[in-house]
Amino acid sequence: MSETGIRPDVGTETGTETDGEVGGDREQFTGTDFERVEDHRILTGRAEYVHDITPENCRHMALLRSMHAHAEIESIDTSAADEHPDCDLVLTGEDVAEQYYPMPCGLAAFEEPPLAVEKVRYAGEPVALIVASDRYVAEDVLEGISVSYETLDAVTDPVAARENETLIHESVGTNVPDGERFDFGDVEDAFEDADHVVEGEYSWGRISGVPLETAGVVATYDPKRDAFDIDCNIQLHTLVDDTVYETLGYPPEKVSLNVPPDVGGSFGTKIAIHRYCCLAAMASQQLEGIPVKFVEDRLENLQGGDMHSTQREYRVRLAFDDDGSVHGLDTWFVDDFGAWPRYPVNQALKPLSVLTGAYDIEDVRYDYEIALTNKTSQTAYRGFGVPPHLYVLEMAMDKAARTLDMDPTEFRLLNMIGPEQMPYRLPSHNVYDSGDFPAALEYIRDHVEDEERAEGGLLDPAVVEEKREEGKYRGVSCTLHIEPGVSGSDWTDRQRSDRDALEAREREEVDELPEHLRGEISRDGTVRALLATDSSGQGHQTIVTQMLADELEVLPSEIEVEYLDSVAAPTEYGSAASRMAVMVSGAATGLGEQLRENCCELAAETWGVGRDAVTYREGGVERLDGGSGGDANSDDDDSGNGGGGDGDESDDRLSLADLADLDTAGGRAHERFTRASYDYEHPATALEEFDEALTGKFPVYPTAAFAANAPIIEVDAATGEVEILKFYSLRDCGTQLNPTIVEGQAHGGIAQGVGAALLEEFDYTDSGQPQAVTLFDYLLPSIDTVPEMDIHHSETPSPFTETGAKGTGEGGMIDAPASIASSLNAALAPLGVHVDRIPATANRLRNRIRDAEAENS
Amino acid sequence: MSTDATDPSTEQPTREISLTINGEDVVADVEPRLKLSDFLRDRRGLYGLRIGCEHGVCGACTVSMDDRIVKSCLVYAVQADRSDLVTVEGLADEGDLHPIQRAYHEDHALQCGFCTSGFVMATRELLAETPDPSDEAIEKGLADNICRCTGYQNIYKAVRRAADYTQARADEEGRMGERDQEDDA
Repeated sequence: MSETGIRPDVGTETGTETDGEVGGDREQFTGTDFERVEDHRILTGRAEYVHDITPENCRHMALLRSMHAHAEIESIDTSAADEHPDCDLVLTGEDVAEQYYPMPCGLAAFEEPPLAVEKVRYAGEPVALIVASDRYVAEDVLEGISVSYETLDAVTDPVAARENETLIHESVGTNVPDGERFDFGDVEDAFEDADHVVEGEYSWGRISGVPLETAGVVATYDPKRDAFDIDCNIQLHTLVDDTVYETLGYPPEKVSLNVPPDVGGSFGTKIAIHRYCCLAAMASQQLEGIPVKFVEDRLENLQGGDMHSTQREYRVRLAFDDDGSVHGLDTWFVDDFGAWPRYPVNQALKPLSVLTGAYDIEDVRYDYEIALTNKTSQTAYRGFGVPPHLYVLEMAMDKAARTLDMDPTEFRLLNMIGPEQMPYRLPSHNVYDSGDFPAALEYIRDHVEDEERAEGGLLDPAVVEEKREEGKYRGVSCTLHIEPGVSGSDWTDRQRSDRDALEAREREEVDELPEHLRGEISRDGTVRALLATDSSGQGHQTIVTQMLADELEVLPSEIEVEYLDSVAAPTEYGSAASRMAVMVSGAATGLGEQLRENCCELAAETWGVGRDAVTYREGGVERLDGGSGGDANSDDDDSGNGGGGDGDESDDRLSLADLADLDTAGGRAHERFTRASYDYEHPATALEEFDEALTGKFPVYPTAAFAANAPIIEVDAATGEVEILKFYSLRDCGTQLNPTIVEGQAHGGIAQGVGAALLEEFDYTDSGQPQAVTLFDYLLPSIDTVPEMDIHHSETPSPFTETGAKGTGEGGMIDAPASIASSLNAALAPLGVHVDRIPATANRLRNRIRDAEAENS
Repeated sequence: MSTDATDPSTEQPTREISLTINGEDVVADVEPRLKLSDFLRDRRGLYGLRIGCEHGVCGACTVSMDDRIVKSCLVYAVQADRSDLVTVEGLADEGDLHPIQRAYHEDHALQCGFCTSGFVMATRELLAETPDPSDEAIEKGLADNICRCTGYQNIYKAVRRAADYTQARADEEGRMGERDQEDDA
């Protein structure tokens, strides 16, 4: 577990600039390994996750789920459940449809019922709900519902689904409700003129986040207000709240989604738990306001918990010349979205933001089709559709290097975007902000050469040879990947946009969501900040605490960070798409500035002097003229109470507590200086570089964090078993606000990437039965399967963001699978085996090795 | 559709259990089918243990039962009759962190924190048996707990730091013990 911690580019100015008048010895917190403020309550068991919330008279909901993948519902007999003495409520799909609305989907043609109506489309789809005194009893009562089904043929192969032999949605008339082909440059010519073209077919298995905490809801309907209060662990509670209030048939202000400060992981998946919020809210309304709680159990979560993510089948071509220069890339894929095209349909588009990865390729085709099948619907997962794209790109690069018999690293360097090309505009219009990609790749290559190729290293040629005689194949590949950060919001409805209107769109019509942050100075001098976004372990309270401490020049212990519910907060994007480091740090900087300025104005007014005569310093405002001659009451302020307070106004310093006192004592209810809010605009909105992407609704991700990886891998040819001996990575996410948190994000992301690359998959039988319904089947990486990581850092600040930070929440999951697959190709090169399917499970690799051995003999 | 909010009327068989939880004697009537994890959370308000899978894989519900860690989702409350239970709430003195908790905090060995109580309890048993664990011993001791956030790298560090803290505390107690003996002499 050595951590060399090289930080080649770390400058001294990692702290936030404040007033420029700060004494040199004040401790700075931003940019340091400031310890998290969330930990104490979690460690002592005092955190409150939604599972822990149980109001006194609370009732519990259980769901009856379909055991069939595809079937007509002939009839539902609930009489035995109705008659059960402990049953409070039974609702079927038809009951719900009578009074409520369908749930909005990602494509306009679809409206998903919260409980199945007329037919079921995947195993695990909820059919009826029960409410009873506790969950044990509720599950007893479920047995009193009997459903009669007429089964239909199941569609499970997304490529075959496109034939439309069996339709998932008859009314839509096709299993391919969305798709688009983008040609950037002259793709046909590029492929015709190239010396070589390689082609490959690749699969990315159904993989997802599987947070340890499942979905949970406690919903309470208030008959007096005719409104709902819903505690839940939904992700993006101010953005996706429409999926709840529209379904209930209420305006947004009547449906408050409240996410507790602690959520047990989400990784994108909990964006889609709205069904549970809706059903529990409906049940509470039917029970005239009795709170109803639902906690998804793990079997439900894995089988039909709206939690699976991307599954794709690819065909890829790469065009290149004898000299190694790549000219054309052509990717076509089918994305298996399961039964319903949920909100994250734009996962199919996000790879456009990193279309050619770290390579300079001019002519590119990107062609996708969304296919519907009888599987659980797709939700978001860390990386949002990018990991499969980078995986197939690197597989094609490996194949091309092998065709040319070129060193794969040299081949990659030859085609890499150079630092002189920054900011670099992709053919698909997104812009990489900064970075020296070739230097990073060379750094990690040289480091591995020095450390591991030398005598006694993991790749010491003598050791590699010795191992090979034992049937163990070692290898490494060095690859560099971009993590597109800070998604814009405007492009995300491209698939629901009218094409003609899109063509004619003006730049002024682009509407981005800013990040909202509020702050309030209390009369005891402490500062309360309110986040408009939810968190699930990323440490947002810590980041805001350390930044505001620096901004306001107070101790972090003087700052409290809380959360706003969906009614109190404006609609904003929230924590997804590697946004928060940039957005919340930008907002904290702006809020700090605003509060300092407000304090100065209030002090100047109080002292009856000009704004220039005061300065903010060390958690208070000081008078620069040193005198006490100003007449507070002669101020021209129309409040008439400018000199309010306790008589300290003749002193030459006002603390935050004094200022809060003055502000509240003066009866300034409508003009408070010590309360402020700030909206940090999305960084792309002010940049001409993004005009084309923004106007045309192409994915907009203005920060390009990057990682050069080198996982050293050993494959046992007899069993197909893979061991990652060590995972080297040089990572750069611009200015690091908290290097400890940055490193933690890298560790966790890489571990999820290891799981995706080697272990995890939601497989289905041909009849649509899910094969991974326990954690014995869906294999999460444990401490003995995650490799030792040796993480290095560099810092190339983003020129586009307020603090120089780049998004960094998704990186490891985005880059590790491609890196591991490429290292597998390197290790298995002597056998001629090329990875064509993720996850590369032991069984699959063993089959490939067996086939290769048969071919070679 | 039907609604009928009433108290449960079906008689469920119950059994009385008596046990010690975090040093406190507890007597309770429980249904034989009630899981220990649900008993501790819902009936005793000990929310520090988390329920992550209910089939014994994730380890978030790990508690100590008669000095052995168990996954409380795989134990019925009636099976804990006459046992001595310790949960994460029983580790720290009011307001303080136990050395293992302190180490997890200082090494950033938690993110979302949902698995953390389970890891802390498993680490406690590991260090009781192996005060100075090797990486292999750490892997063996914590292989029954899943963390989805940290990639485990900082958990190794935290366990080593916790081992140091525990050792330092044992040394100090040893010295104080010696001094007491000298005083007695």
